[in-house]
Amino acid sequence: MRIALLSFAHVHTETYIACLRTIPDVEIIGAADDDAERGRSMTAKVGLRYSPSYEALLAEKPDGVVICCENTRHRELIERALAAGVPYILCEKPLATTMEDGQAIVKVVEAAHAHLMIAFPLRFSAPMRDARQMIVSGKLGKLYGCNTTNHGQNPTRIRSWFTDKRLSGGGAVMDHTVHMVDALRWITGSEIVELYAEAGNLFPQSGIEIDTAGTLMFTFANGAFVGLDCSWSRPTIYPTWGDFKIDFVGERGLITVDAFAQQITTYRQSLGRPTGDFWGSDTDQGMINEFAASIREGRAPSVTAYDGLKATEAAVAAYLSAETHQVVKMPL
Amino acid sequence: MTFRVAIIGAGSMGTTHAAGWQHTDAEIVGIVATDSTRAQPLADRVGAKVYPSLDAILPDCDVVDLCVPTPLHRDMTLKAAAAHKHVHCEKPIGRTYQDGLDMIAACEQAGVRLFISMTTRFFPEYKAVHDRVAAGEIGKPATIRLTRCSYKPLMTTRNWFSDYVQSGGPLLDLMIHDYDFALWLAGDVERVYARSVASRDPNATGDYAQVLLRFRSGAIGHIEGGWAYPPPLFRRKIEVTGEQGLIEWESDGSAPLVAHLKAESNAIAEVGLPLSPLDEDPYTAIIRHFYAALIHDQPFSVTPEESLAALEVALAALESARSGQPVTLPRRS
Repeated sequence: MRIALLSFAHVHTETYIACLRTIPDVEIIGAADDDAERGRSMTAKVGLRYSPSYEALLAEKPDGVVICCENTRHRELIERALAAGVPYILCEKPLATTMEDGQAIVKVVEAAHAHLMIAFPLRFSAPMRDARQMIVSGKLGKLYGCNTTNHGQNPTRIRSWFTDKRLSGGGAVMDHTVHMVDALRWITGSEIVELYAEAGNLFPQSGIEIDTAGTLMFTFANGAFVGLDCSWSRPTIYPTWGDFKIDFVGERGLITVDAFAQQITTYRQSLGRPTGDFWGSDTDQGMINEFAASIREGRAPSVTAYDGLKATEAAVAAYLSAETHQVVKMPL
Repeated sequence: MTFRVAIIGAGSMGTTHAAGWQHTDAEIVGIVATDSTRAQPLADRVGAKVYPSLDAILPDCDVVDLCVPTPLHRDMTLKAAAAHKHVHCEKPIGRTYQDGLDMIAACEQAGVRLFISMTTRFFPEYKAVHDRVAAGEIGKPATIRLTRCSYKPLMTTRNWFSDYVQSGGPLLDLMIHDYDFALWLAGDVERVYARSVASRDPNATGDYAQVLLRFRSGAIGHIEGGWAYPPPLFRRKIEVTGEQGLIEWESDGSAPLVAHLKAESNAIAEVGLPLSPLDEDPYTAIIRHFYAALIHDQPFSVTPEESLAALEVALAALESARSGQPVTLPRRS
């Protein structure tokens, strides 16, 4: 199958290319980027053919495209890919940064009879999959609540647009809420009915005005309530980039899952800080495998545009609540 | 002159306090308990008498140590103050904000000293975090995450913890420690939002709660507490982030001594206490602090007003859990 890459804006682009290259029947036909300089240097770096425009690349009729542009540009690139007749899209999260864009994307994907998979790699985490199995099989009994964290470092050092609200649509709350909300919708099979949030720029850097800290509390229709700390609170000297952890508390006790606990700790004299080096199964590879399999088998991917929309909805509700200090009822 | 201490209550905290007082040169004159079968062995162990009531012991003591259910704190404190006795009282200060105000006023008026046993400040791991934050080592606090989860108190008789009218449940009785600690780190709270299992389903077999705090400083706090774990599991966590760094600690990861034994039965404490091997346990440290401050006329490291501020957050959390709406502080009622 022939896959094209649209934009190198996102930090995960290189990882996705590496994952695609492990799949024998996948051919990456080329990459385009509206930032020509970034496109040229990145294609040279990773050894891909650079296509001078999205139009030219899409005209080559790829079987699928991977969209890694800035958050607020997802809608435009998705619409262009669909207009060119691309049947399968893998889009970096979040699907959109507003409900208007998100709903429009879901509609246009349906109208084109195409498939859009949203990049939620945690669905392909082995510890998460096993945790879900334990919850679904009823080992914990009635789920009371979850205490969750998706911490990270401020990504602005790697890609500066993450802290430019016009391109990212928001800071830590936009960046991390969608991952945890998707994981919990998947695990609980329930939807959020109300949400409350506190957020702010509590890790200020000069020249950047965006939410760097946030904590959400939301309640699912099944009654379970969740606390989520989505802050970019890890210092640069922290051993890892961050974390993704859930403590499930229920009728029969506690189940804890830490998606990135499978690490060795290395102390390099030269580095001046320890590093946690992950040895668990590769979640990105699992996600890319599913995208390729859905194309190969001509079926819908296991994570859909609707899933992307529901995660976006929670992030949008969080900003609304943080601004008004009110509980926000969902769906919006 | 030897200080004579009256311990009111022979439950798990009465027993713990008695052990603490034995590390001072004060004299435990008596244990007050309505149930002497439980109080007598404790009294024998510490060389004290069993008294049937607070009234009966007041003439024989200088200090009253209240280890009784929370709703009794106010009246017993007022009675002790009227008899010009100093008061050492278990947390929380009272069941209502007015209880706390009455207690503070009564002790002030009588010229006796009131100390609420906010033990968390005497746990070395919490103190170490506080001292580093206070020294500015991680910059201004940005986010504070605290966990204190255990099992439902197991007493088969007179389990007043299970009566939320009396205890307030974990949102009050258990999580008061973490409200106090968070206030100690970050100052006044502006908004409180809380969810709990009990507020939704009073008949649930366990209880579990989370509280989201916004401080006037802008810092965000998240506090998790509950009585939903299987005994004897008791987990605590601290994470404080700041503009210049981060401090983290988890009881799971720092247990210095672990035994996995093939035992015929594991005796489980009625009420879980989070204890780590230390030369001096925090429950003894706090009593020695109280006693030293009392006899040397020094200030206490935690004032009743601070204890009352923690209660105010707890009551706001209870209200928020009940109403489903955030509560803005101060709300003095």
